[in-house]
Amino acid sequence: MGFSMQPYGIQSMLKEGHKHMSGLDEAVLKNIDACKQLSTITRTSLGPNGMNKMVINHLDKLFVTNDAATIVNELEVQHPAAKLLVLAGKAQQEEIGDGANLTISFAGEILQGAEELIRMGLHPSEIISGYTKAINKTIEVLEELVEEGSENMDVRNTEEVIYRMKAAVASKQFGQEEILCPLIADACIQVCPKNPANFNVDNVRVAKLLGGGLHNSTIVRGMVLKSDAVGSIKNMEKAKVAVFAGGVDTSATETKGTVLIHNAEQLENYAKTEEAKVEGLIKAVAESGAEVIVSGAAVGEMALHFCERYKLMVLKISSKFELRRFCRTTGAVAMLCQPNPDDLGYVDSVSVEEIGGARVTIVRNEGGGNSVSTVVLRGSTDSILDDLERAVDDGVNTYKAMCRDSRIVPGAAATEIELARRLKEFSFKETGLDQYAIAKFAESFEMVPKTLAENAGLNAMEIISSLYAEHASGKTKVGIDLENGVCADISTMNVWDLYVTKFFALKYAADAACTVLRVDQIIMAKPAGGPRRDQQPGGGMDED
Amino acid sequence: MAAMMQPQIILLKEGTDTSQGKAQLVSNINACTAVADVVRSTLGPRGMDKLIHDDKGTVTISNDGATIMKLLDIVHPAAKILVDIAKSQDSEVGDGTTTVVLLAAEFLREAKPFIEDGVHPQNLIRSFRNASYKAIQKVKELAKSIEGQSLEEKKRLLSKCAATTLSSKLIGGEKEFFASMVVDAVGAIGDGDRLNMIGIKKVPGGTMRDSFLVNGVAFKKTFSYAGFEQQPKKFLNPKILLLNIELELKSEKENAEIRLSDPSQYQSIVDAEWNIIYDKLDKCVQSGAKVVLSRLAIGDLATQYFADRDIFCAGRVAEEDLLRVAAATGGTVQTSVNNVVDEVLGTCEHFEERQVGNERFNIFSGCPSGRTATIVLRGGADQFIEEAERSLHDAIMIVRRATKNSTVVAGGGAIDMEISKYLRQESRAIAGKSQFFINSYAKALEVIPRQLCDNAGFDATDVLNKLRQKHALPTGEGAPYGVDINTGGIADSFANFVWEPAVVKINAINAATEAACLILSVDETVKNPKRSGIRERRAR
Repeated sequence: MGFSMQPYGIQSMLKEGHKHMSGLDEAVLKNIDACKQLSTITRTSLGPNGMNKMVINHLDKLFVTNDAATIVNELEVQHPAAKLLVLAGKAQQEEIGDGANLTISFAGEILQGAEELIRMGLHPSEIISGYTKAINKTIEVLEELVEEGSENMDVRNTEEVIYRMKAAVASKQFGQEEILCPLIADACIQVCPKNPANFNVDNVRVAKLLGGGLHNSTIVRGMVLKSDAVGSIKNMEKAKVAVFAGGVDTSATETKGTVLIHNAEQLENYAKTEEAKVEGLIKAVAESGAEVIVSGAAVGEMALHFCERYKLMVLKISSKFELRRFCRTTGAVAMLCQPNPDDLGYVDSVSVEEIGGARVTIVRNEGGGNSVSTVVLRGSTDSILDDLERAVDDGVNTYKAMCRDSRIVPGAAATEIELARRLKEFSFKETGLDQYAIAKFAESFEMVPKTLAENAGLNAMEIISSLYAEHASGKTKVGIDLENGVCADISTMNVWDLYVTKFFALKYAADAACTVLRVDQIIMAKPAGGPRRDQQPGGGMDED
Repeated sequence: MAAMMQPQIILLKEGTDTSQGKAQLVSNINACTAVADVVRSTLGPRGMDKLIHDDKGTVTISNDGATIMKLLDIVHPAAKILVDIAKSQDSEVGDGTTTVVLLAAEFLREAKPFIEDGVHPQNLIRSFRNASYKAIQKVKELAKSIEGQSLEEKKRLLSKCAATTLSSKLIGGEKEFFASMVVDAVGAIGDGDRLNMIGIKKVPGGTMRDSFLVNGVAFKKTFSYAGFEQQPKKFLNPKILLLNIELELKSEKENAEIRLSDPSQYQSIVDAEWNIIYDKLDKCVQSGAKVVLSRLAIGDLATQYFADRDIFCAGRVAEEDLLRVAAATGGTVQTSVNNVVDEVLGTCEHFEERQVGNERFNIFSGCPSGRTATIVLRGGADQFIEEAERSLHDAIMIVRRATKNSTVVAGGGAIDMEISKYLRQESRAIAGKSQFFINSYAKALEVIPRQLCDNAGFDATDVLNKLRQKHALPTGEGAPYGVDINTGGIADSFANFVWEPAVVKINAINAATEAACLILSVDETVKNPKRSGIRERRAR
């Protein structure tokens, strides 16, 4: 009976409810459009004068940030093609930890270029081959632009580190990089291992404490625990530390068991033996020379009683990760029950201090291991603190990247303009239709100076044209001086970007754009029935 | 169906709410000003209180900015930031919460016309930040140190600070009385700076003047069993035993079970249980303690036992009270009565159970290690005492901060006027747009004296003009002039002892600027649909 309504073509092969889109108009252009929309959201956050976004996620948590990785993460992008861009941004965030915004915005920009080319009549595959050539050439040029002598650096020299880190931090917290950079650099250098390539981002911790202002921020060689000491002893100097992975308490059986008592004598002694056992344990700890006990789980009241008696300071760290870091800070080995003098750690001082109304335990370890340092951030609201934390994370990641590869390229759009100029020249030498694609690719680089200028409230066209003029006259290091709104030589402003950040950002962006362009058909399965769809978010909640 | 097949570009999830651009920023600013308008009228000595009736039916009357902001239950994301800064001010310095909200809103209000005229927010932000650094420098410069004074003198100065805070509160009428009380309390805890060592106990009834300070610990009599009446209620230099165990007949351990094969043994088990408790009690008595306190219950048997031996006991003492007693008397809390040595016993000069209002209070005074104090608050209605407690908390925080940082500035809007003048001067030396912005920042600072006048019913324009004239005097003698709340004119705040700790102002300017900048820097709001909404639908 429904034969007259029988769908034709590919629809006939698929179940009802499938979405199917193909061809240039339906698939490619729509995909490009979605990606463009995404990049317009992130683009205004690019650069030091970038604006913040207020994102309220599905759990009603408020984010105020200009960190592109965070924005796209919380946006819950649904469009499949736009998701590719998000993934590229995330890949950048994971690889380098910075430059996610450049990736997404640049990918959006070259896709827009592709759209114009398609409307001109080029086939996507020609565009792809052109873009591939362009990105290869870009990487070649980028290598030539590397500042001479920058490949050798002393990763323990604060000034050199700040020099390279400034641009990354300034793009997140403009105007505050003077305060943040030295903090981050110091923290990183402190924990930098003998072989800088092994630098572990996890060793620089951030403690966010509400109140005060950014200029109250400090760094601590050691850890900051956001909890009070358990007992009444609140500080200890130059002490040995015993770390217990489990709780410090009378051992209880996991399986339900009852103690069978047969006569009165046993009953009377029951409590006493238990008490004696706990005392034995604490006494053993005290005798092993430890003065601080750190427990991974609850500390029993009885145990606490004896700790006080033997003048031991008691700390509770319930997070396994925190405990592991604590062990790393103090050089202790977590033990289960019996203390072993060899497994004790050492701290210069442990003290409970009050910072902005909150009581925190500060664990300092100046000498020895020196493996964990903490940046104590102060700010007046949670959102500011979160944003500062992201800036610190970016800074630390930049440090990691520079430990591996310290080469730098001029920042403040100088590199982009130079790339655009050289690529354009290159495109003229190509014979095929690629020429158009390469030229578009080159043009897309203008997006960076344009956005920087626009975000700063400057006249973008004027800036770009004067940049081109300067670069054509051989001054390849001229970029935008945002504070004064003019073009200036980068070496006087000291705005440098890490080579690897640029390299990966451009590469990921080009890869993502090509992937999007390659798609000519979208087939979307019908979303499964009603109730299942409801269940999914419920399950998802638990993961968060 | 066909409409759905038409592929629309859905980038974000359905139900996602986005807004962007200038309009969005202006609406954020409007929301913040609206919030500030709520707390505006509570500023200053003539500020009014707010009565907040929440969804649970509890009524709170308060004049404390942070308390009001917390209870307002704000959902607007931008306005929430103001709540955050009020909280931060509360935790950092304890007072000035209304000030910080007002300042932030005023900065935004000043920024609004610029935004509407198309100035890029980043320019404003940079200028505001610059201005705030300059302002803070100036506050530090103007601040007077109270360091190096004699103890007596210092106390007098601190109580001025406390009085300034209290003057804007409900208990302002008795500010001298409470100010000296607060200074004594903070002096008692010394450098230990543990806030929870100052207890505030509320007893309805009597008048404010009946409130008193105990240099030690006081807490309400706990629930007691028969036999309590026979216990002595007054000791001189008693030894005090602090326990964390139950002195009651009860099963020793939940996971123990007794199986008897011989019924005749039954009695021996019962005896054993009695033995255990008697053994415990005996050990308490042998320790020589005259006062026994426990966090857990002390049963009727124990009460009777202690009464026979002239020992005072109290069970179910609140943990914080017990800790305070421990800190005050120098004892430590014991979880076992075995091996109670002399060192773990506390002592105090005087212990007494006393009638306060219609409650009985256990009061420990003359404690050797000091470091604790308890304020017993009296007053008419419950809400009144609640508010008084909040006010005292603010005052205590202020005194603590002042002791720590030891610098004070002139209050009554004097410092705000002076910074405002200074910034105006500074701004003239700046070329470019920034001049406007810093000027407007300076203007925003005048909101404090203006609001003080408004709340007191004076002609704000008139008073402000007088103040401006005084502050503009080239000799600088007008710097400490602020609003005189008593006469409606202006007066030298410093000479009148209207003092604030410098840290309050510094933190307020800092937090307000940070918040204003944060709100200005937002150009897009994206609100994802709440997932819990789906859950609710499912529940239905």
